[in-house]
Amino acid sequence: MSRLIALALCCLSYSAWASEEHKLAKVQVRTDVQSLERGAETVISMCTGCHSLKYIKYRDLLKLGIAKEKVNSWRGSNPPGTSIPSQMSPEVAVKGFGSIPPDLSLMAQARDGRANYLYSYLLGFYVTPDGKSGNHLFPGVKMPDVLGIAGARTPEERAQIEEKARDVTSFLMWAADPHEQERKKLGYYVIGYLVLLTVLLKLMKMRIWSRLRNN
Amino acid sequence: MAKGIISWIDRRFPLTAIIKHELTEYPTPRNLSYWWNFGFLAGFVLVLQILTGIFLAMHYKPDASMAFDSLQTIMRDVNYGWLLRYLHSTGASAFFIVIYVHMARTLYYGSYRAPRELLWWTGQVLLLSIMASAFMGYLLPWGQMSYWGAGVITNLFGATPFIGEAVVLWLRGDFAVGDATLTRFFALHYLFPFLVAGMVVIHLVSLHTVKSSNPSGINLEDKDNIPFHPYYTSKDGFGLGVYLIIFCWFVFFAPNTFIEAVNNNPANPLVTPPHIVPEWYFLPFYAILRSIPDLLGGVVAMVMSLLLFAVLPFADRSTIPGGARYRPIYRVTFFLFIADIFVLGYLGAQAPTGYVVPMGQVATFLYFATFFILPIVSKREDKWLRARLPQELLAQFDRTNALAKGQNKGDAP
Amino acid sequence: MSDSKSMDKPLDCPERRNFLEKATAVVGGVGVAGASWPFINSMNPSADVLENAISEVDLKVIEVGQSQTVSWEGKPVFVVHRTPAQIAAMQASKGGPDPQEDTARTQQPEWLVVVGLCTHLGCVPTRDNEGWLCPCHGSRYDNSGRILHGPAPANLPVPPYKIVSSETIIIGVA
Ligand code: HEC
Ligand code: HEM
Repeated sequence: MSRLIALALCCLSYSAWASEEHKLAKVQVRTDVQSLERGAETVISMCTGCHSLKYIKYRDLLKLGIAKEKVNSWRGSNPPGTSIPSQMSPEVAVKGFGSIPPDLSLMAQARDGRANYLYSYLLGFYVTPDGKSGNHLFPGVKMPDVLGIAGARTPEERAQIEEKARDVTSFLMWAADPHEQERKKLGYYVIGYLVLLTVLLKLMKMRIWSRLRNN
Repeated sequence: MAKGIISWIDRRFPLTAIIKHELTEYPTPRNLSYWWNFGFLAGFVLVLQILTGIFLAMHYKPDASMAFDSLQTIMRDVNYGWLLRYLHSTGASAFFIVIYVHMARTLYYGSYRAPRELLWWTGQVLLLSIMASAFMGYLLPWGQMSYWGAGVITNLFGATPFIGEAVVLWLRGDFAVGDATLTRFFALHYLFPFLVAGMVVIHLVSLHTVKSSNPSGINLEDKDNIPFHPYYTSKDGFGLGVYLIIFCWFVFFAPNTFIEAVNNNPANPLVTPPHIVPEWYFLPFYAILRSIPDLLGGVVAMVMSLLLFAVLPFADRSTIPGGARYRPIYRVTFFLFIADIFVLGYLGAQAPTGYVVPMGQVATFLYFATFFILPIVSKREDKWLRARLPQELLAQFDRTNALAKGQNKGDAP
Repeated sequence: MSDSKSMDKPLDCPERRNFLEKATAVVGGVGVAGASWPFINSMNPSADVLENAISEVDLKVIEVGQSQTVSWEGKPVFVVHRTPAQIAAMQASKGGPDPQEDTARTQQPEWLVVVGLCTHLGCVPTRDNEGWLCPCHGSRYDNSGRILHGPAPANLPVPPYKIVSSETIIIGVA
């Protein structure tokens, strides 16, 4: 009985923790190069005006599999080893927004809700009755509605923007943890190996302990 | 060749004798369940933490302006750096799961009782040292939660009467948590696990003096014991396999479970994150701290909540050997106590508003009440059980107890 | 397999038992070896260090007769824009104790690229008109980076490099 109570309490506390994040839209993060390339394109053309990606170098984009010509056009005269900079100087940013827009390289892992937060934030913009821009997840937001979700008129337009937000999220998820795919691939081998080893160890244990049975 | 070397050593150091005495022929009860695997697992986790830690330290930079970036270099550029970091950060949580299960086993089966009091106390010192290691390690990533968590915890020392402020200043080496704090935490974070390893040796020497307890609570005679090797080496091996499957699943497929999102933001002394929570393994104690409205009182309560475990060998006054298995009242007390810890843990993670505060106070009260009612409950339960159990069995219990306390050694069967 | 056994006959089926024991030992050993690789490999140069293994040099700023020192893999590399007279002198000689044709040491005769660490004990030689003189123990190198006399045993090594255009070379890629 008490065991059940304990178990129930565990589940309860878990669901209570999780419920904070319920209001976020769920996003299915993609990992194919095409999506990541589209996401990179959007981020570099629309976000690096204000945000930097200091842990991502142009060279990393090449390693990811994005075409060389494309990366070259993004980096301009910067050497491939440069981190992706923000086009806005800190002074201008502070003057315009009161703060420096945060670096985006770890952003997808830096808010509760992680990918879902990022996705919902990008789609969370709306126009207040007095014509100002607001965001459901960020009261008093200063960042403009870059993807233009508040201005979407038709369902098709909305779907297009959602698609874009999903690509941006996917790209920023990659940027936050570039080794994720490699990690998971290695993980399958490791777990497979461990299962084999554990079966062998269990057999060993059974064999050794069976000596005790008859005395 | 190998034999030659070993015998050369044996003539100068009792290597083979030690291995025989402490490992291969060390007599162990045959009825230990899988709950007895967790001590060995804790040792394994400690070794893995030390190994991954040393290799991380080759790339980590304990400087406030470089720490966060150096961790990103580890995660992105160092060969398998991500693996080292995830093994280490997941390992810290795994450490506490293993240690807490190990302690719960001790509580459930009454393994803290005579003659194992000292073993229990050394275990407690180990827990406190591991907590200190983990707390200092958590500052090293230099994220927002690292920074503010360390700020809050070092502030607790401000509750020291008269010299509180001076103590806090001394601990931090700065007026706020800063570069000086980070560097000393790194130095101590490197040191403490080795102290822990030394204390593990003491823990084991103590264990091998009094021998393992077992689910029956009755200390078995030698003819009923079996050598540690190969029986328990094989059992521990299998347990390790199962443990590694679960652990590696987290490391490879969900490593971010144990890294707070907030901590992926670099430390910023000017902005406090909206909701500071310690790592999950500190939550019950944090909830106790918050339940007392006064700072000094809260700190005292939190410290006591850990230290009070030391009185258990005296507080449990039953003469029935062992723990919960044959003692229904103790069993209920045990499960209520564990449930209470879970409630405290849950409350510790919530913002202190609404029902959270009064509920935390009730749970805190129940936590401490358990220690205070245990002497009465165990005495009552003992009377009740003695009135019902067969004389023969009671006589055997009394012999066991006498043996445990080291009395009447001569008359023991 | 039969399950009846007693203490004095523990190995009911020794072959099978041996096989199991060996298989477990081998699988376990492979695991330990595999697990140690990430630890060992983490001590190899990391990606950000390897990036230093490629350096771009702008040739426009190096006048005829001048030399520039650039950093590659954390080591100094001398890039020399040689005069026609130096080229002629160098191509006419084979150097000293470690003879080598000048043409084997250059891709284009006017550009000499050598690692600037004395092959004796690793000091950085100083430039003069004749070539280089090592300040530590007086090894003398000519304008092709070849050892002429002194304790150094070998010529200054030529790093892998590529002349991409008349204006740039990349050191570190062959
Ligand atoms: C005109 C400048 C500007 C552009 C362009 C811009 N941002 Fe921002 N962003 C900001 C500012 C300023 C903030 C700081 C928060 C605030 O005050 O709104 C911010 C904050 C954020 C945050 C953090 C929100 C939080 O929870 O703290 C995210 C995520 C973000 N931006 C993503 C993006 C993405 C993705 C793009 C490109 C699609 C983008 N931004 C383009 C200015 C900009
Ligand atoms: C008792 C054993 C140990 C425990 C419980 C422990 C715990 C921790 C924790 C909780 C962190 C923060 C993890 C994160 O969020 O990233 C950490 C970081 C770190 N620890 Fe340990 N640690 C232990 C042993 C060691 C040892 C022995 C060393 C060095 C020799 C070490 C070196 C480091 C380093 C360099 C970091 C910073 C990198 C990082 O955050 O991952 N640790 N440790």
